[in-house]
Amino acid sequence: MRRINLDACPECDVLLNRAFPVMGEKAHCPRCGYLLQRPRRHSIERTFALSVSGLILMMPANLMPLISIKIFGNSNDGSLWSGVVMLIKDDMWIVAALVFLSSMLFPVLTIILSLLISGHLFFDKPNPNLAVWMRWLQHLDEWAMLEVYMLGIIVACVKLSSLAELKFGFGLYAFVALLMVAVTLSSGLDHYQFWQRINDMQKQQA
Amino acid sequence: MPDSVQRTAAFILSGYALYIPANIFPIMTVSRFGQGEPHTIIGGIVALVESDMLPIALLVLVASILVPLLKLLGITLLLFCAHFRWQINARLWTRLYRVIAFVGRWSMLDIFMISILVGLVDLGGVASVIAGPAATAFAAVVVLTMMAAKMFDPRLLWDYQR
Ligand SMILES: [Zn+2]
Repeated sequence: MRRINLDACPECDVLLNRAFPVMGEKAHCPRCGYLLQRPRRHSIERTFALSVSGLILMMPANLMPLISIKIFGNSNDGSLWSGVVMLIKDDMWIVAALVFLSSMLFPVLTIILSLLISGHLFFDKPNPNLAVWMRWLQHLDEWAMLEVYMLGIIVACVKLSSLAELKFGFGLYAFVALLMVAVTLSSGLDHYQFWQRINDMQKQQA
Repeated sequence: MPDSVQRTAAFILSGYALYIPANIFPIMTVSRFGQGEPHTIIGGIVALVESDMLPIALLVLVASILVPLLKLLGITLLLFCAHFRWQINARLWTRLYRVIAFVGRWSMLDIFMISILVGLVDLGGVASVIAGPAATAFAAVVVLTMMAAKMFDPRLLWDYQR
């Protein structure tokens, strides 16, 4: 049987001829406008390099003080983790869990998954779990919310600025760097190319 | 996805139910020198306006009040479309669905801000911030509406169009 190059649009299910966009072009579904493909240069290499730097930034961004506060000689500093700990102390379990998952665990997992996937593709090592990891990465991407947390830091600082003396800690710089890595990581990942490589690898194995 | 409409409806109804306590109960209590002052979501926005921080006040208003409400109403409309098979401009409505799915995460702004304040402003008798019951309700609203958007299958809008 001859293999026909047909793809179904993931959002409206219309059958489409396979598009061949070149670098810088985008392929949209003609019916619903869904972004089908967006080729990225050196996507595998870039994803690999970015996830390694993300891994390095993870610990300082999560555990070191973001901001320190001083009111009448009393001072304290806060990190991502200390906020979660205080919420647990106040018995706000649901809120604490949600903050922990969306600002710490899921961002970390997306970086680890990106590293695993791009590493296997970069070194040409087939692995039966690659497709599972890809699907998890796509799910987790939605629930990792570093950029929203950044906005939360800004609003909190504005609220406190008239009441207290604020100082930015090293954790904040690490956090901003981690945020930039996470954003470039998710926008630079060429899903179509990744899936194509994973399928090719599996075919070679079989 | 099986039962997409029913599941989405279940999440949306729970979302409506929790939107009310999220807005009437205090979301945090700010204590200064032992004097506790509970704030609702609206109260926090009013406080920002009073201290001349209008842009930030607008930002919080959009993220904490308007986005959750528009999400609830928007997904309800999408459900009606899919269930009653209204003849609609499916391309336009799919775009609405995408906007709803995209903006949902920004509602977490207030929750993150509270987490930062609670961890940072912990100065014993001088000043402290404690999260209130509305924080749990509001966090639940955000998760429920995100789940609803995820459960809704945009294919439903296309299937019956002529
Ligand atoms: Zn489509």
